[in-house]
Amino acid sequence: MLFNSLDFAFFFIVVTIAYFLFPHRYRWILLLGASCYFYMAFVPIYILILGFTIVIDYFAGIYIEKSEGRRRKLLLICSLVANVGVLVVFKYYNFLNESLSYIIGDFGYKNPIPYLSILLPIGLSFHTFQAMSYTIEVYRGNQKAEKHFGIYSLYVMFYPQLVAGPIERPQNILHQMHEKHEFEYARVVSGLQLMLWGFFKKLVVADRLSIYVNAVYGHPDLHNGSTVVIASLFFAIQIYCDFSGYSDIAIGCARVMGYDLMINFRRPYFSKSISEFWGRWHISLSTWFRDYLYIPLGGNRVARQRVYLNLMIVFIVSGIWHGANYTFIIWGLLHGFYSLSGMILKPYREKLVEKIKINSHILNVLNIVLTILLVTFAWIFFRAATLGDAWSLIRNLKSFGEKPFVGDGISNMAHSILAIVLLFIVEYKMEYITDKFNFFSHKLAWVRWSAVIIALFIIMLFGVFSGGQFIYFQF
Amino acid sequence: MKPDIIIFLKRIVLFMLLFIAADQALGFLLEHIYFNQEKGQFAQTTYSVDRTHEDILVFGSSRAVRHYSPAILSKAFNMSCYNVGRDAQMIPYYTAIQDVIFNRYKPKMILLDVNSWELAPGESKYEKLSILLPYCREHPELVKYINQSSKWEKIKMLSRTYPYNSSLFILGYNYLFANRIPADDHGYAPLIGEMTDAMLEDHKRRMASGEEAKNDNSRDIDEKSLAYYEQFLAKTASSGIKTYVIISPKILNENLNYRVEKLIEIAGRFKNVKFINFSNDPRYNYRYEKFADVFHLNKQGAEEFTNDLIPLLK
Repeated sequence: MLFNSLDFAFFFIVVTIAYFLFPHRYRWILLLGASCYFYMAFVPIYILILGFTIVIDYFAGIYIEKSEGRRRKLLLICSLVANVGVLVVFKYYNFLNESLSYIIGDFGYKNPIPYLSILLPIGLSFHTFQAMSYTIEVYRGNQKAEKHFGIYSLYVMFYPQLVAGPIERPQNILHQMHEKHEFEYARVVSGLQLMLWGFFKKLVVADRLSIYVNAVYGHPDLHNGSTVVIASLFFAIQIYCDFSGYSDIAIGCARVMGYDLMINFRRPYFSKSISEFWGRWHISLSTWFRDYLYIPLGGNRVARQRVYLNLMIVFIVSGIWHGANYTFIIWGLLHGFYSLSGMILKPYREKLVEKIKINSHILNVLNIVLTILLVTFAWIFFRAATLGDAWSLIRNLKSFGEKPFVGDGISNMAHSILAIVLLFIVEYKMEYITDKFNFFSHKLAWVRWSAVIIALFIIMLFGVFSGGQFIYFQF
Repeated sequence: MKPDIIIFLKRIVLFMLLFIAADQALGFLLEHIYFNQEKGQFAQTTYSVDRTHEDILVFGSSRAVRHYSPAILSKAFNMSCYNVGRDAQMIPYYTAIQDVIFNRYKPKMILLDVNSWELAPGESKYEKLSILLPYCREHPELVKYINQSSKWEKIKMLSRTYPYNSSLFILGYNYLFANRIPADDHGYAPLIGEMTDAMLEDHKRRMASGEEAKNDNSRDIDEKSLAYYEQFLAKTASSGIKTYVIISPKILNENLNYRVEKLIEIAGRFKNVKFINFSNDPRYNYRYEKFADVFHLNKQGAEEFTNDLIPLLK
């Protein structure tokens, strides 16, 4: 069930009304049932995979808490292996098998291992990572093991963030599942407003831009440099609006019922460096990697060369997390390279800025533009279907300056530009003018209501309603 | 908790009422602008749906709009002619338009321009039927076609604004700058300009690539479209209208594929229906000077083709 469908609208209304009508002690049953229904609306059978990891991690958590020493570590390893094992089988098996065929094929051998014809369960990487964070936190002693099987299942399956995050930590969300949430007017309205903003991002911006992006990336060898630049910049905005739009809807939806999910995006395209970008983009994943991979590898508290190596490992793993394709690995490598270069060149940059005495505002704008360009270049690999396609697109950049492809009529391009302008105005206001133009929380009711009605009409008139899939569902 | 819920419920009801009022007002304004377009695609579709009365009607996609000159056909048959084709539309659209027109009157001759790709599976052809949403209030018979794209279309249609989704720019431009839009000639909007050799080479390369070749030779068929095609022909045949199903000229010659065979086979089932195939005609294949792009003839090519077609219609 997609958030951007009327099926979801009805589902959300029914579940929310029932939630506030149910007595507190039965609400977990309602939410768990609703979450199962939500997940099974995609491919019903895959609920069994979720069930498998839930059972493993539930008991792992309890036994880890009771154990000490080597046994405690062994139980954690068993749980992690089970989770990663599910990921490997369903997400990476065919990719690894294909890579093996390629390697041994060079030596004249045929790979005897068969391919599996399975679909990737929706949001597998998200709920697996959320489940793993639970056992790790129990192991570290930061979280008590959850004794209530239903509540633990709900922690993994909570429908707003089940298929595309935010990837929650048990310390933030588990206790909320035991607490009683009253109906609070202000909270409900704020949740609905956040959902509205998410729908705007998804329907008006992301799905609109996807029309042009798909036309160009679908035929990478046919388009000139100007077209590739426009399509890649469009994709940078599309993926941001698609994913952060999903997160906003998820957070808003949970907020209506009284749950606080962690923030996942903070206007990443206003970042002045790649490291700042990663502090604002997919925060729940980047902090996951920081807490469970980068710091255990030694983080910053090791020799400089080792810090660089740790950083590269994290970015490569992040690339692999996104998908079983070399394009994602290159994307991760590029970000690792950018971050490393940023660290190495930082003192020289600072000296240079001091020397040429550039105005700080101009410097900020230049840094933002440079960050956007670097991130957009990396997105080419992320979006391209194959490395060959990515290479075709990059090769075509040399014809930058030729008349760009307009797409399927000027109307779509005009809608795309309008969507970007509206997005920029709102995001700029949120970033730099926080104390003015707050129409949605204005003291005058007619201003607040007019703002909501105008937003709804913008979505109705400029949105794309063909039910476009969310990009991050595939991860 | 209770006062909060009561305040919320009261305000949500009030908000809904305001929203409905705003939707009606804005929808009324958009409706006025839409139905008062003088030129452009919306005006052409409105004419097709509400006012056609011509003896000859041309149905089809952008290839129909660009390839068939009503002036030449009118002169040859001494009958009036209108081109009701519409860019980017496929078989479900022609069938829906035919349904509305036939409720009003029956033409004497129909030319239906088709292509094998119209039978390819895919939902986009049904989603594109949303361009008929503005007509559903007056023509409820269109609702069943629009419902093909999603089970929720009926609910969405409760809004008076929703039918104008994604059309605001064209609507505003056509309304404000009507004098800048070239007038069509009875629905016919020929393309100006010539294709280049480089464009032809690019197209040949693309068509030779595995993916395109696979699409063309595929035996996958959208059964719903096939049923609509059959329904279209059954309706014209039962009304005794002379009908010609035509594949107009293509830049590259095309082997008979499974989908074309299906189109021919179904056309053959009806007495008054004749199938005409120009896709392998050497007068057009590889003659890029007669094409404006890889899919469409230019004005010169279109008029030549209409003239070449006339003897086959007599």
